Amino acid sequence: MSTITATRPAAPPAEVNTSGLARTIASEWVKLRSVRSTHMYLGAIVLAVALGGLVAYLMTADWDASPAEEQAMFGGADPAQLAFPIAQFCLAALAALAMTSEYATGMIRTSLTAVPARGRMLLSKAVVVTVVTAVTGLALTLVCFFLGAAITGDRPAPIRAWESFGDALPTLLSHSAALVSMALVGLGLGAILRATAGALVAITGLLFVVPIAVQFLPRELGMKIFATLPIELPGQLAGTASDPVYSQPAAAGILALYAAVALTAGWLLLRRRDA
Amino acid sequence: MIEVRQLTKRYGAKAAVDNLSFTVRPGRVTGFLGANGAGKSTTMRAILGLDRPTSGSALIDGRPYAEMRNPVHHVGALLDAGAVHGGRSAFNHLLCLATSNGISGARVTQVLDQVGLAGVARKRVGGFSLGMKQRLGIAGTLLGDPGILMFDEPVNGLDPEGIRWIREFMRDLAAEGRTVLVSSHLMSEMALTADHVVIIGRGKLITEASMAELAERHHRGVLVRTPQASALSTALRESGAAVVAAADGSLSVSGMEASAIGELAFARGVVLHEITPRSASLEEAYMELTDDSVEYRATRTSPRAAETPERSAA
Repeated sequence: MSTITATRPAAPPAEVNTSGLARTIASEWVKLRSVRSTHMYLGAIVLAVALGGLVAYLMTADWDASPAEEQAMFGGADPAQLAFPIAQFCLAALAALAMTSEYATGMIRTSLTAVPARGRMLLSKAVVVTVVTAVTGLALTLVCFFLGAAITGDRPAPIRAWESFGDALPTLLSHSAALVSMALVGLGLGAILRATAGALVAITGLLFVVPIAVQFLPRELGMKIFATLPIELPGQLAGTASDPVYSQPAAAGILALYAAVALTAGWLLLRRRDA
Repeated sequence: MIEVRQLTKRYGAKAAVDNLSFTVRPGRVTGFLGANGAGKSTTMRAILGLDRPTSGSALIDGRPYAEMRNPVHHVGALLDAGAVHGGRSAFNHLLCLATSNGISGARVTQVLDQVGLAGVARKRVGGFSLGMKQRLGIAGTLLGDPGILMFDEPVNGLDPEGIRWIREFMRDLAAEGRTVLVSSHLMSEMALTADHVVIIGRGKLITEASMAELAERHHRGVLVRTPQASALSTALRESGAAVVAAADGSLSVSGMEASAIGELAFARGVVLHEITPRSASLEEAYMELTDDSVEYRATRTSPRAAETPERSAA
């Protein structure tokens, strides 16, 4: 490496007065897209869709080979049934890492030196996470729908998951909304816990462990809490749940509340704590 | 200009920084000195708004750092060269910082070139040596061409060439009229770099002075060598100076300037072989000043002394 002397830069950058929020969002986008973990999680989602497609294909083949009375007992061959929970975990983990990787590497101190407005930084991360998960969620649900439709072809229900695109649309949208909500919960948990392992355990607990634990509660209370869990909300939001506890607007409100509570708690702690 | 005003930072009952006040002015390198754990890094974190002071304040050009809209344009700070995401490329790391302050990618390329990292711009930072990370951190401080620069222990872990590069770099920045604050626990390094020093111990200010003032204050008398030591000693004592004879035959004279000693020797016909005004090195001055305020000190025990209690126990 050659020895260099500090020379005044040829053209010192002028201080520009565009919106601070827009610039911070742009910066958070650079951060998210420039780390390997983001690409790995998105890659995992692609794999999950492929796997979901394979399962749907095998189900359909099995359906074709089954006698009529057994065919009636089949569920719909929908790749999203496998891909959605995996995507939900991956996107929540991706969002949590947007916060916890800063603490794990010490980058947070460099980041806050460039953007001392901590609320603005967290809000910018939330905007980037919302856009990335909404786009991923819509792409995922659409691909799963068309993949499922291609696999089942002109076979009738129940192996055919949806009668038409219009029939599926509420579910596609509510699944996408749930993905966004859980990713924001992941981001909030990341800001609260500041450690990757802790955030991933909390997400896993919320998505996969609590639903099991709740089944040990007294029936009435258990049902109520179960219906409030993130995995049960998309069905109630889409209006496809067989025995809904919450109306569609209430389900939407609860999903939004999850994100709001996690982000607010994360913001309060981020603002107060030393970096 | 950086102003630290009655800054106190407590962690539980322990004060890491205790009612500390000092000012860092432009156009010179200000060395921030103190033993490990004296509170240097805590003070710098408080200046940058990373740590919230328990009381007091730190202002940059009159306002708190946290209120700055585009801090990268005003302050370039390198607290920890390791505080980077190892998975990002050097270019992308700087682009994250640049973008948030409205600075373009072209400028990122420019500063990478300036610190000699242009060739590894697209390489992941995780694979960088400590010296390369320091250069990357310095590139980050240059992004917004700021008037104030802060470095925490910038030469730690660097090779001699890197140390020299940083030293010249900081001197150049100050020569351009910028405010430069650099912390270190290496006195010899600061003696070569700083124009002005702020010395703290146990979170408290011990002294704030220019290097010249410090040398003046810790004046160590004049070393004189002469074959006629006894004659000169007598003459000096008669003139009111204090003289101490060392084992090697040299004299240590205090209370009289070197010029006056020379004139006196000439008047008495005494031959001089050497006459040298001495002042304490920064390290000696520092040791004198911080004698009572070192937080963690190894007690010096000879192996023999350490063995004694064991013997008596046996």
